[in-house]
Amino acid sequence: MELAQLKSLEADPQLVSARFSPCGKFLLGASYDARVRRWDIASEDWTEKPAIDGHGGWVTALAFASSGERLFSGDSWGQLRCSNYAAADKPAALWQVAAAHDGWLRDIAVSPDGARIATCGIDKRIRVWSAADGAKQLDFALGDGPLFAPRNGSLDGDAACLRFTPDGKTLIVADLKGQVELWELDGLKRGRKFDAGVLFKYDRLQDVGGVRCLATDAGFQWLAVGGTIPKNGGSVTGVPTALVFDFATGELKHTLSFGQTNDCYVSDLAFHPRGFLVATTCGTPGSGQLIVQKPGDKDPLFATKKMVNCQSLALHPDGERLAIVATNAGSNGNGRPLTKDGAYVTNKSPVVIWKLPA
Amino acid sequence: MRRCSRLTDSLLAITLAVAACCCSLLATGTARAADLPLHQRIDTLIEARHQGPASELTTDAEFLRRASLDLLGRIPRADEVREFLADRSAEKRAQAIDRLLASPEHPARMADFLHVMLMERQGDAPEWRKYLADSVAANKPWDKMVRDMIHADPADESVRGAAFFFTKRLENYGQNPVDVPGMVRDVGRLFLGVDVQCAQCHDHLFVKDYTQDYYQGLFAFVGQAQIRRDLKFPALAEAPLKKKVEFTSVFVKEPRAIGPKLPGGKEFDVPEMKPDEQFQVPPDRKTNFPGVPRFSTLKLLAEQLPTAENRAFARNMVNRLWWFAMGRGLVHPLDLHHSENPPSHPELLDLLAAEFTAHHFDVRWLLGELTRTRAYQRSSRIPEGVAADSVPEDSYRTALEKPLSSEQWTASVAEAAGVAARERQSVEAWEKLRERFAKAFANPPKEPETEFAPSVKAALFLMNDPVVLGWFQPANGNLAERLAGIPESERAVDELYLAVLSRTPDADERLEAVQMLAKHADKRSAALGRLAWALLTSTEFSVNH
Amino acid sequence: MTSPHLCRPWEHAWSRRRFLGTAATAAAVVGSGGLGSGGSSLNGNGSAGLGPWLNPAIAGQVEQKRKQVVFIWLDGGMSQLESWDPKPGTLFGGPFRAIPTSVPGVHVSELLPKSARQMHHLAVVRSICTKDNSHSAGVARIQRGDPKNRGVTYPYFGSAVANLLGPGPTNLPPYVWIKPGSGGFIHQDAGFLGPKFGALAFGDGKPPENMLRPEMLSDADDDERNALRAAANRRYANRRRPTVNDASSYVYDTARTLMKRQDLFDTSKFDPKDVERYGTHELGRHMLQARKMLEAGVTFVKVNSYGWDTHGDNFNGHLSLACRFDQPFAALIEDLAAREMLDHTLVIAMSEFGRTPRINGHVGRDHWPEAWSVAMAGCGLKRGAVIGETNDVGTWVKSREFDIGHLFHTWFRCLGIDSKKVEYDNKGQPLPLAHDDCEVIQEVIA
Repeated sequence: MELAQLKSLEADPQLVSARFSPCGKFLLGASYDARVRRWDIASEDWTEKPAIDGHGGWVTALAFASSGERLFSGDSWGQLRCSNYAAADKPAALWQVAAAHDGWLRDIAVSPDGARIATCGIDKRIRVWSAADGAKQLDFALGDGPLFAPRNGSLDGDAACLRFTPDGKTLIVADLKGQVELWELDGLKRGRKFDAGVLFKYDRLQDVGGVRCLATDAGFQWLAVGGTIPKNGGSVTGVPTALVFDFATGELKHTLSFGQTNDCYVSDLAFHPRGFLVATTCGTPGSGQLIVQKPGDKDPLFATKKMVNCQSLALHPDGERLAIVATNAGSNGNGRPLTKDGAYVTNKSPVVIWKLPA
Repeated sequence: MRRCSRLTDSLLAITLAVAACCCSLLATGTARAADLPLHQRIDTLIEARHQGPASELTTDAEFLRRASLDLLGRIPRADEVREFLADRSAEKRAQAIDRLLASPEHPARMADFLHVMLMERQGDAPEWRKYLADSVAANKPWDKMVRDMIHADPADESVRGAAFFFTKRLENYGQNPVDVPGMVRDVGRLFLGVDVQCAQCHDHLFVKDYTQDYYQGLFAFVGQAQIRRDLKFPALAEAPLKKKVEFTSVFVKEPRAIGPKLPGGKEFDVPEMKPDEQFQVPPDRKTNFPGVPRFSTLKLLAEQLPTAENRAFARNMVNRLWWFAMGRGLVHPLDLHHSENPPSHPELLDLLAAEFTAHHFDVRWLLGELTRTRAYQRSSRIPEGVAADSVPEDSYRTALEKPLSSEQWTASVAEAAGVAARERQSVEAWEKLRERFAKAFANPPKEPETEFAPSVKAALFLMNDPVVLGWFQPANGNLAERLAGIPESERAVDELYLAVLSRTPDADERLEAVQMLAKHADKRSAALGRLAWALLTSTEFSVNH
Repeated sequence: MTSPHLCRPWEHAWSRRRFLGTAATAAAVVGSGGLGSGGSSLNGNGSAGLGPWLNPAIAGQVEQKRKQVVFIWLDGGMSQLESWDPKPGTLFGGPFRAIPTSVPGVHVSELLPKSARQMHHLAVVRSICTKDNSHSAGVARIQRGDPKNRGVTYPYFGSAVANLLGPGPTNLPPYVWIKPGSGGFIHQDAGFLGPKFGALAFGDGKPPENMLRPEMLSDADDDERNALRAAANRRYANRRRPTVNDASSYVYDTARTLMKRQDLFDTSKFDPKDVERYGTHELGRHMLQARKMLEAGVTFVKVNSYGWDTHGDNFNGHLSLACRFDQPFAALIEDLAAREMLDHTLVIAMSEFGRTPRINGHVGRDHWPEAWSVAMAGCGLKRGAVIGETNDVGTWVKSREFDIGHLFHTWFRCLGIDSKKVEYDNKGQPLPLAHDDCEVIQEVIA
């Protein structure tokens, strides 16, 4: 399989992630400067529209309502916000919850019927909200550890990723200790577990790794989680790895390794409707790949190292386009890098658009 | 005076006393200064600079202990002491020196010494140890040994282990990458007595002699060295040096370039060669053979560094051997030879270097001469009625106390306890024992072992290590058992002192010990063990005094 | 700023000749003076038995109350932006928020919630600007105070304090180091002061090897054998230079003292409430042990934590690391204050540098000596103070820059030592305690 590079944007400062809107007309970027940036990709030159403001810290999560032009965005200061992403001018909030979490909101999941959204954060709580107005419907904790005070080297319950199952009654929750489990929302019962413990290591004082991204295929045959098999903390090195589970049984079916120890994390994962996985990796500055691979295959269908430090991937609803959030070369900051004018500047995120073959 | 001209010009600076001495010798016609044995000329030069009384010579017992520790790496056995004390010969010290130097234990001691000096506890390899042992046993001249270390032929089994000097330094060190500047520095420090570290980036600021080309010129020699990956033993490969080494001073930003050049020596050209001419034997990727460059800078270094013409080479080694014998370098610290850190006795350093060179860099001969000197044989007690701090270390009026290496500790404690012969029966077990002691007594890697550095770690080891303490329980004919067989306390105490401190006790010591034993008459053996321990851990045992 | 060089121009401002001339002729004296009695006569002295240990020049300067130091070293480089100098909502600020502290108007990162409640005891300097951005050189350079080069290796701060203040009346080793991994006797720390001022390192808080006396030896036997050793040494000392014999005797005295304090290492006897408060993780255990060591009278306790070099995944990394520092640090400050020990105990928490404002492609922060923070407390420092500031985006120091030399002068001041007057005596070579061009940070002194 050969993918062709179509186009490239540049975001300054960096982006945490990017997503195509379900309508296929917008590319949204979650930025380090508390904005959600919007590119009108229906326009010829992918005009940038006024960004969504009002967040704090980093915008850390983006999710779309299944219908209507609504975007749910969360930030690292705990705010959850619903906006019309397609508005011509600067979108105003349709609703917002200023303190959806106490601190970093890590992920947002939308129920298949579009009625509910679920969020998780570093306050170790999972909350379910009405998608219509942001009213809180459910609030529970995975573990009992207090905020920022892990016990015995654990960060129990620090969920990183969430998805609803097709019936909308159950959440798939993956945390930073490599635990993946199902939670039935009616009666809050724990269900099946998926053991991704290899993606975690307690090194010295540091919890390293954990599940960093999660994807399911359209038919929910597979559940894939991505992260690293950590070697050490500090600088953090490890082999970027995706684990593919049989969703129905919880059995680990495939372990996909995507590089060497300095390549570190599988940063994002998506299942293409045609059944293959798309993954990005990001490790020490200068490393990183885009990889396309079938779960059962030994070798990838396609892999490129043209971009470095890929943070995120977005699959367009047409199934033919991919957007990769990468990082500029030379992003290492040692040695006080300055511009010619003596300015100290941020790193940037090249956003590269690729075309998949039909 | 003309007859003295074999000594270099700096001799002119020394005191009249020496001149007078030379002249008087000439006048009597009995000998010319240059014909006198070296040890006498050394004493003449040393004593000419004495400014105050010198210590008396050691007792015979002290002498034997000192020389045995230096030349055999262990204290003398009780019977050796007895025999030496009983010897009435006027020449017995000189004879003892010859005997010790001829002993099969001497090469082993020198191999240990050279290993610690050259590798500074960075690592070890069987090939390297074999190389050192064989070389010292054959009394291989120092220039030949250094030549081997720089450029050993891997095909020659008798010398190839010498490559370990470089190959160990070309390995990653723990998590640190290969320290090439450190390797360049070690070549300068250990073979030439110059520490070129600060000259890597600019002319040394407070050592005027150390210009930047001191470092860069040495780097041009050894910077291409690599480990051979195609061989199972330590061996060096070398990439071709294609052009001069380019560098810039951090002060004067003008780029410079230099070919191979010894500190203070002449610069060598780097011949221009087309890529296909650079190898005499081309590399072979299939076998990982790295090839042999046509212009080998290591070969050139091996030809240029260990030579009579390169003054620094001999001066460094005689200074280190002086330190070995006397506890301090004529130039001190040992790796800072430069004009603003002059030797304490310039004329002596010149003399030693000249004679060492003239004797084809014969280490054993020089040790024989050094140990025959009065400077070596003086007591470490300050002269009666003189304040300790008025006797400078570098006057050699009083002997300096020298630290014991971990290897000397091992052998001496085992000897004192009377277990050495038994412990040495298995080579592996003895090696393990030496490692056990090294954990307590050796410096960490890359720390030169040149100063007396007692540690709480070593104290705890001697206080509580079960192996060491076990040696002082009666068994298998060890000291404790021997003492248990001597019913008269006075005789037992004498034997104990002889075994541990290599001397007989004085009256007070004997009385105190006998009284102590009387107090523990019911547990005499354990009491003797404690007495032995106290002597073993005393300062007197802990240094070569 | 990255430099491949081994040494720097500013290291060379002193002529070697000035001291080599002296050293060549002076009688050898290892370390500083005052070790003559080998610690055995550290009693019956009005100034808490300090007399024989103190450099005579400072004997009069040290106050009655014994000063102690606890030095918490976060190896690899704690991020100032995720700790003491947060810049939330700015270009390089990262994802975290700032929280108020017990001092109105002062905010720290939300990753230090417990320390924030102890802020009224702390003095934080936010305007540190140092020279070295590599670990290999930086750790030693910072801990040696980065003085001008005199051609000698300067002691680490712990060795310096061990030399200047001595072990105190307990005769415990004056400089102990609680660290993960292996322990041992780290004499390199001492530099020119000589090996006995090195650190005694307790690997994973455990005692050194050979600390247990064999059972066959009773207390009385042990006393007797050591008395015999001391007697032998007294005889040996007659008409000999004192240095070697003193040093040799000293290490046995210290070893014996240590053997009597096994309780400091028996974590099973620590109060479970304390264990819970400090944290059951490694750094929590070690900080609690540090408090015990201080209570036992150790002059200088260093506690190391490794793994702060968060070039990758800095924010999740600090989420883990910072809270495991925050918990025991806050507990220690609270306990020292409650025991009125803070008045005479200098607390320092720092790294070899801070971390880059710019966030790299591995979502990490790299090495940044240009603008970072150090947290301190006690021993004559202001309480609840923040000194200095960085610019709005935290890239450079906006107020006056302070180098490690300024901190050294400040710390010596806290310990009652005038570092502009007192000098080391290195075998006759006078050497300043800290960088000549730096001075006390007056703003932080109470």
